[in-house]
Amino acid sequence: MNRRLPPAFALMALPLLAILVLGFLPLMVVVVWSVWTWDPLTYWIRPDFNLGSYAAILEAGRWMVIVSTLGKALLTALICLLIGWPTAYAVHFLAGRRLSLILLALMTVPFFTSYLIRSFSWRLVLGRTGVVNDLLIHLGLLSAPLDWLLFSNFAVLVGLVASCLPFATFPLLLSMRRVDPVLLVAAEDLGAGFWTRLSTIVVPLTMPGIFAGFLFVFVMVVGSSTEVQMLGGAGASIVSVMINDVMRVANYPLAFAISSVVLLVIFSVVLAGNARFGLARLFGEGQS
Amino acid sequence: MAIAIGIEAVTREFGPVRAVDDVTLSIGAGEFFTLLGSSGCGKSTLLKLIGGFDQPTAGRITFDGRDMAGIPANRRPVNTVFQGLGLFPHMSVAKNVGYGLSLRGLSGKALAVKVEDALDLVELSGFGPRDVNLLSGGQRQRVALARALVMEPGILLLDEPLTGLDERLRQQMRDEFARLHKRTGATFILVTHNQDEALSLSDRMAVMHQGRLQQIDRPALFFDQPANAFVARFVGIDIQLKHQGVTGHGDAAYALICGQKVPVRIGGPAAPSQTVVALRPDRLFLQSQDEIPLQEHAGRMMLTMVESRFRGLHHDVTLAFADGQTVVVTQAADRPVPEPGQTVAVTIAAGGAMLIPTADP
Repeated sequence: MNRRLPPAFALMALPLLAILVLGFLPLMVVVVWSVWTWDPLTYWIRPDFNLGSYAAILEAGRWMVIVSTLGKALLTALICLLIGWPTAYAVHFLAGRRLSLILLALMTVPFFTSYLIRSFSWRLVLGRTGVVNDLLIHLGLLSAPLDWLLFSNFAVLVGLVASCLPFATFPLLLSMRRVDPVLLVAAEDLGAGFWTRLSTIVVPLTMPGIFAGFLFVFVMVVGSSTEVQMLGGAGASIVSVMINDVMRVANYPLAFAISSVVLLVIFSVVLAGNARFGLARLFGEGQS
Repeated sequence: MAIAIGIEAVTREFGPVRAVDDVTLSIGAGEFFTLLGSSGCGKSTLLKLIGGFDQPTAGRITFDGRDMAGIPANRRPVNTVFQGLGLFPHMSVAKNVGYGLSLRGLSGKALAVKVEDALDLVELSGFGPRDVNLLSGGQRQRVALARALVMEPGILLLDEPLTGLDERLRQQMRDEFARLHKRTGATFILVTHNQDEALSLSDRMAVMHQGRLQQIDRPALFFDQPANAFVARFVGIDIQLKHQGVTGHGDAAYALICGQKVPVRIGGPAAPSQTVVALRPDRLFLQSQDEIPLQEHAGRMMLTMVESRFRGLHHDVTLAFADGQTVVVTQAADRPVPEPGQTVAVTIAAGGAMLIPTADP
């Protein structure tokens, strides 16, 4: 019997360990602590099995925050795809080599500054005396500034889309690269006009990229807090902010219960999407 | 129904490059026409112009006399088998083949019947539900053919469709093209760099070079009367000799090559100084002492043996004139081969030597 481990295993051992320790261990702790007991009088956490924290999610409108967070994530992801898909199409199929490189570089510009600065800058754009209102009033389209532009769900959505857009565009671009241009010519040859070519050839073939882009944005929004804090209206909340608030009173089981629910939702989305669209196809050879 | 194609003074420029340079050509309805040329000669560009994937810079293209300018590819009665095939990887064989018809509004049973008929035609019956990604090269080729033919196009364009297939499959698909051409009666236009394909399939063919058509003829005429030295070399007439002058006319014309008088057939009106003598390899024979004397109209060259190369079924025997110009003659493998340095007589059968222009006049 060969007792020596295959070299591939030796090579993989460290990354595997890192993934387990850095990735799974904290998650497991989160899930385990979520079913422990929290005593509101002593702030003490006892390792006794208790679903009280999950029950507490249903109180004080917490579940509303989870639902609205998922709603924001869904909406942001869809808007990012609606903007990102045509962008990726244009960069890949329409722009020349030079132009597409420039466009790609432009897409990375938002990463040059921190989330905080970026979100704050939207205040200057959307505020009562911001760029948009000033312009609209100057043009005579408005007599008084619009109030709902800032500190509103609209502002949050604008901030989230601006932050997340590149994360939708890049996987889309990656999947566009895997579409052989001769397919479009062949479809045209068989009678397909521009829109038919998009809907029957390009969209189905970029489905893995569409899903990956959706997922990246969805997960990012669920984990975001800056945009809501900087741009949201009074009482606006999002899961991260709510968890932060709960942690402040040291109710770790409740914080972890909320996290576990969100985790469950995200894992379900990933698994369902992967079964349907095959994320692996975006990166691997799979079908070509 | 088959469609006749008129190409009238068509030019396609890409910046300073004329990919297609003032081409005029008419292709009859139901004809199998081949555009033959090496890569970059403009043949694929010309095909794209016919298919409507590109627009000519000047000139016009007509189908049955109707001007096709401004009619995009998806509304032309033309279908194409592309070099890369372009099978849709996310669709089954049946979905691929039925793609065009379903865009025309066909569905359900009517569509299924048409698709199955098309698959029968290319001998892929029952392959409908299969994954196109899992087919062999030849099968993929057939799916691409079926996908184009199911549209019942008046014109079928074949853009180097056999590239990338092994020799046996090429043979097979070549026979397939000929069969389908007969079955469908459509006008077939094949683009290829492979002269065997062109010769065995075409009713007529054109050799293209630097955007221009060098010669348009039935395949046999490319050997009997190559338009110029380029065409001759392209179809395999590699022996092209410089001469010192031409005497006589018509059937009694002779070219002087290194002091030897060689009877030649004069192809065109070109000035003798701009011509070469092309020798058809199939009409050259090594003559040994015991063989019958010269046939009528036959010429004879006295050459020095250089070397011989064994080719399996024959030898390639290289012989030289005194000035160093060489001639390669094939000699059956079981026949004797002269020793190097020996002087040998080579006979040229009637029509074996042609006086042709050096290049496009």
